[in-house]
Amino acid sequence: MALTLTVSSSSPHLAVLWTVEHLKGQVQINVKEGKDTVLRVTDTISFTDVHSIIRYLARLAPDKGLCGSHLTEQTEVSHWLEFSQTKLMQKAEFAAGLEALNNSLSLRTYLVGNSVTLADMCVYSALEGSNEWQTQLQQNQAPVNVRRWYSFLEPQLVF
Amino acid sequence: MRVIENLKNGKYETNKQTLPQCNEAFLKTLESVSHTILSLQQKNSKIPVLQNKKGHRMVGLATIASYLVKEAKIEEILGSTVEEKAIVQQWLEYRTSHIDRVSCWEDIRNILKDLNHYLEDKVYFVENMITLADILIYYGLHPVIAGLSFQEKETFVNVSRWFCHIQNYPSIQQHFPVVVFIKNRIYSTSH
Repeated sequence: MALTLTVSSSSPHLAVLWTVEHLKGQVQINVKEGKDTVLRVTDTISFTDVHSIIRYLARLAPDKGLCGSHLTEQTEVSHWLEFSQTKLMQKAEFAAGLEALNNSLSLRTYLVGNSVTLADMCVYSALEGSNEWQTQLQQNQAPVNVRRWYSFLEPQLVF
Repeated sequence: MRVIENLKNGKYETNKQTLPQCNEAFLKTLESVSHTILSLQQKNSKIPVLQNKKGHRMVGLATIASYLVKEAKIEEILGSTVEEKAIVQQWLEYRTSHIDRVSCWEDIRNILKDLNHYLEDKVYFVENMITLADILIYYGLHPVIAGLSFQEKETFVNVSRWFCHIQNYPSIQQHFPVVVFIKNRIYSTSH
């Protein structure tokens, strides 16, 4: 049964597009445009939440390690997925969240393990969509570790 | 909505310039080149000499390494633009002129301090891609880094991060033992 992914044409979620792009050749997915973002798995099962969609897709191709390659990493990925939706999305917590992210990245090239995972992807998307972050980038005030990580991922995400 | 169009049509676009490292053939070539470079390096203290099949003689680690890379047709790791190529050469020279000539702990400290500062906002030595500079400096620094305490590794945090990334990069590590890094800071109390 082939998967059908409907991508919201007004606001396509970067993480979803990137995951599909990354799993190309490993997972068969029909992509079409629509009003909302939905992944239809079977007639009765479909996912509408972005994180559910990317997790499901990533698990179809375990070799790629997008969810992390062992239990600790998988937990870390979950941590960052939640982080991207809570700390980085709320204005009041953003500054503290960014500082925590900066500290975590001081000894890491990628957020989890030694390759790119959903964690990088979701945190990146959250930052990209954040006005505070864009302002900091423009004014050259962004914390150095996050900036390095961000500009390292950036060229990999240009479709 | 070019992105969605491409996904629908199953078009495959890669950004070749930033991701030369993704395919297996590249990694395999990289591995055999690294292996040769490393075996040249091991003939310690002597300047390596390579004689190729056509009878040409080449002298010096950086020279031979660059030649091997070109011969193996993975030239992208020498940099793609003129500037990148120049910076790669600069670091190859740094490897032979600085790292290979350390004589005391003071020298090592200075080198690590310099590199730590340089790597603060970088993942690789040159742009956002692996180059021969990363490989040769990794091989050159390995004995030094392996001898550092955890506290020192944390002092040179950017070097540690870079080193840890390179040692986990496929096909480079060869027989070198893994150096252990702690992924969270334990000594600094500033946060």
